[in-house]
Amino acid sequence: MIVAEQKPLEEVRRMIAPYQRVLILGCGTCMTVCNAGGEREVSFLHSALKVAQLKSPNGTHTFSEYTVKRQCDPEFLELLVDKVADIDAVLSLGCGIGVQAVAERFPDMPVLPGVNTSFLGMTSEWGVWDERCAACGDCRLDDTGGICPITRCTKGILNGPCAGSKNGKCEANKDMDCAWILIYKRLERLGQLEKMRRYYPPRNFRTIPRPKRLMSKANTDLGENDG
Amino acid sequence: MYLPVSDNIQNNQVNRMKESSPDHSLMPPCQVACPLHMDIREYVDLVAQGKIMEALQVIRNDNPFPSICAYVCNQPCEEACRRRQVDKPVAIRALKRFAVEFGGDRMIQAKAKTTHSERVAIVGSGPAGLAAAYYLRKLGYPATIFEADSEPGGMLRVGIPEYRLPREVLDTEVQRLIQMGVEIRINTRVVSLDLLFDMGYQAIFVAIGAHQSLRMGIEGEDNSGVIDGATFLREVNLGLKPSLGKRVAVVGGGNVAIDAARTALRLRARKVSILYRRSQAEMPADHVEVEQALEEGVKIQFQVAPIRIKGGSKQLSVTCVRMELGEPDASGRSRPVPIKGSEFNEELDTLISAIGQAPQTPGDFHVRVGKDSTIQVDPVTLTTNRLGVFAGGDAVTGPATVVETLATGRLAASRIDDYLQHRYPVTSKEERETLTGDLLPETIEMIRKTERLEPPILPPEARAKGFEPVELVYDWESAINEARRCLRCGMGAEILFQDKCATCLTCLRVCPYHVPYLDDSGTIQIPAEQCQACGICVAECPAKAIVLRNPYDRRHITEELDYVVKSAAQSKSKPLIIGFCCQYGLFGTGTLAGLWRGAKTGIWIVPVLCVAKVEAEHILRAYEMGAEGVFIAGCGEQCTRENTAFWIRQRVEKVRRTLSQIGLEPERLETFNLAATDEDPVKALDKFTEKIGGLHLISVIMQEVKK
Repeated sequence: MIVAEQKPLEEVRRMIAPYQRVLILGCGTCMTVCNAGGEREVSFLHSALKVAQLKSPNGTHTFSEYTVKRQCDPEFLELLVDKVADIDAVLSLGCGIGVQAVAERFPDMPVLPGVNTSFLGMTSEWGVWDERCAACGDCRLDDTGGICPITRCTKGILNGPCAGSKNGKCEANKDMDCAWILIYKRLERLGQLEKMRRYYPPRNFRTIPRPKRLMSKANTDLGENDG
Repeated sequence: MYLPVSDNIQNNQVNRMKESSPDHSLMPPCQVACPLHMDIREYVDLVAQGKIMEALQVIRNDNPFPSICAYVCNQPCEEACRRRQVDKPVAIRALKRFAVEFGGDRMIQAKAKTTHSERVAIVGSGPAGLAAAYYLRKLGYPATIFEADSEPGGMLRVGIPEYRLPREVLDTEVQRLIQMGVEIRINTRVVSLDLLFDMGYQAIFVAIGAHQSLRMGIEGEDNSGVIDGATFLREVNLGLKPSLGKRVAVVGGGNVAIDAARTALRLRARKVSILYRRSQAEMPADHVEVEQALEEGVKIQFQVAPIRIKGGSKQLSVTCVRMELGEPDASGRSRPVPIKGSEFNEELDTLISAIGQAPQTPGDFHVRVGKDSTIQVDPVTLTTNRLGVFAGGDAVTGPATVVETLATGRLAASRIDDYLQHRYPVTSKEERETLTGDLLPETIEMIRKTERLEPPILPPEARAKGFEPVELVYDWESAINEARRCLRCGMGAEILFQDKCATCLTCLRVCPYHVPYLDDSGTIQIPAEQCQACGICVAECPAKAIVLRNPYDRRHITEELDYVVKSAAQSKSKPLIIGFCCQYGLFGTGTLAGLWRGAKTGIWIVPVLCVAKVEAEHILRAYEMGAEGVFIAGCGEQCTRENTAFWIRQRVEKVRRTLSQIGLEPERLETFNLAATDEDPVKALDKFTEKIGGLHLISVIMQEVKK
């Protein structure tokens, strides 16, 4: 899941300052789950903006609110056609993808990001999310016992642990587990400690370009020479 | 300055809320168990809020004579109460008594208009007859009750002893019926129904009760020292003084036997015992009555039955035999079998036989009579074999409880209405789904155990001296605390908008009672029979997909906030402080009652049914309405729900963060908990008010300076 947090209210207010009629647009998937931009957060922000306007006015605004199931799918955005007809800007509480999808669908409409998209992560308990994936495009979790050193090691090193590991904790943050100690223990448990002996060359960021587009559908558009 | 709530809510959401307004709450077990299907959960909840008049109103909706039920009901609702699975059932009848007495039931005027010309005769003025008369008058029919005795009330008058039902309570109800236009003809024994038809009555309801005592069928039963229970109680209750010796034994194990024994004790019998042929577990009498009888000094001999009576008046030698319990009989109870050679003699002055009663229907009624002399009727239409003749109550069922006969009286009125209006009787109304199933152990574990508060009762010594009512009324605080024990079964949360649900599992994680679960298909479920209706998941669901099943609960806080806005607009004084106050318990009716609805300048109260239902948005909206300060006052440790304080703190912190981003002091939001502060909450609130006043002044000055 994509995890984000709402931007500070002041920043939001600065962004919306030039626009009078603002649609606060929530997203019903990841942003709902991480309490950053679901229907509840939309109405909370709506209320907060109104209180702010009351106590320290900066321009006149009218707000409307709406939440779509997923901002990153253009079909869901068709539901917005009527809603954006009489507004001046969309304040999107979708992740960075959502903001761009809305901007793409409504090219004449300013779309403002209401959240800072932070990482790919999981819920550890109610109200707490931890980063688990850097979307590096070169997954080696089979070698590291299902524990990602890129996200969970402060340095993101591929051959750990480093000398900063103390009592299983990281030197940079004593509350944080050393990812490489976790990897060691997990490999020990799996009987695969030999994987610790291997050397993993540094990732080549030049030869692993980010894919930019993925397709699960078969490419049937193959041109005239094809059978 | 601010916009009303509904103004900006997305359109489809408004529409969906409209669609969702039907009541999804389930009928709780107490209501199912009550023969009158009273809305018990609702009136108990109103008592918990201290809204006694409203509670009485709810009670009167379904019960024609709540004062009578408040004294004598055998409380089948408490038998069904699911609080029993946690600790002890809610004392529902005692709470009804409280609502009836403190709500001023005796002051209520019943009115009825005559809208039909067809006259209805009711034979018998017992609970069935009185209830039928009440509802027939409400339906607009002229109704006449014929009563053979010198006073109306049937078994309520001649069967139930005065210490259980004070006569002024019955008289009040009878008086109210007369006010409604019911004609009651006492000392009028009906011998023929044809005569009533000749007199112009178009329908007759036969509710003659079951006053004929069953015979024991043993030698010496007709001895003058032997009296039957029904006759004994009738004579005592009509003010006659039946001759009674010093040593009295009552045969039987039902309520009449207990009533007879306790009455004998009050008539100064020195030694009163009960002979019952089975064990205590099989005793059909109400167990509270049995306990009270024992406290007063009645001795009960179990597994004993008389077989022979010898001697004359005032000197009886009763031969008894001991019993052992054999195989279950048709009633499902063990059949008592005499033990050979266990005979013994009891020397008595009076023997009262109270082993059961049957109706005695005059042959000239020409109604078909079946098993145990009961009148045979169609159970749905209550019609007898004679056109226009209906029957109900003990005469049809054999001896039953007051509340059961009230229910048949009510049914009879509507069936007679159907008959007179030539309507096909509607057999079953479309009713709400009922709540079934027990609480799970993990749910029970998390529910706070609270002791059942019994209403005070007279000490046994004081009771046996006369016919004063044994049970007294709750005081205000005990009643409210007892009412708060209600689990509000069937009022819980539901995922109303499945399309919105992101299956984020927030509800599963925040529920203090471990109620929501993921089913095999990976869908989140909130089982209604487990949900404790605390409202935490409703307030936390990030998709706003969960609502409480009852539409009033859904709207409550928003509506109360709107009300504050409207009132403030009318009074032209801007609300300085808005407080969300728990309406249950002491905050609602006691400690902070003085602040009610702006009674104190600038403080406006939004009553809430547990602060756990106050959402972060509600708090912000209070500021939106121009409040300078907001406070939340909950019951703290006294709350009957789990984790309330924790969730309020979470939401308060969230709002405080937002406030400081706006440039407002976080101290503008405060919580008060009853148990948390040693300080008197009223004083703490005064301090808060002072502080907010100061902050407001400073911000006004700062604005002036800026200008």
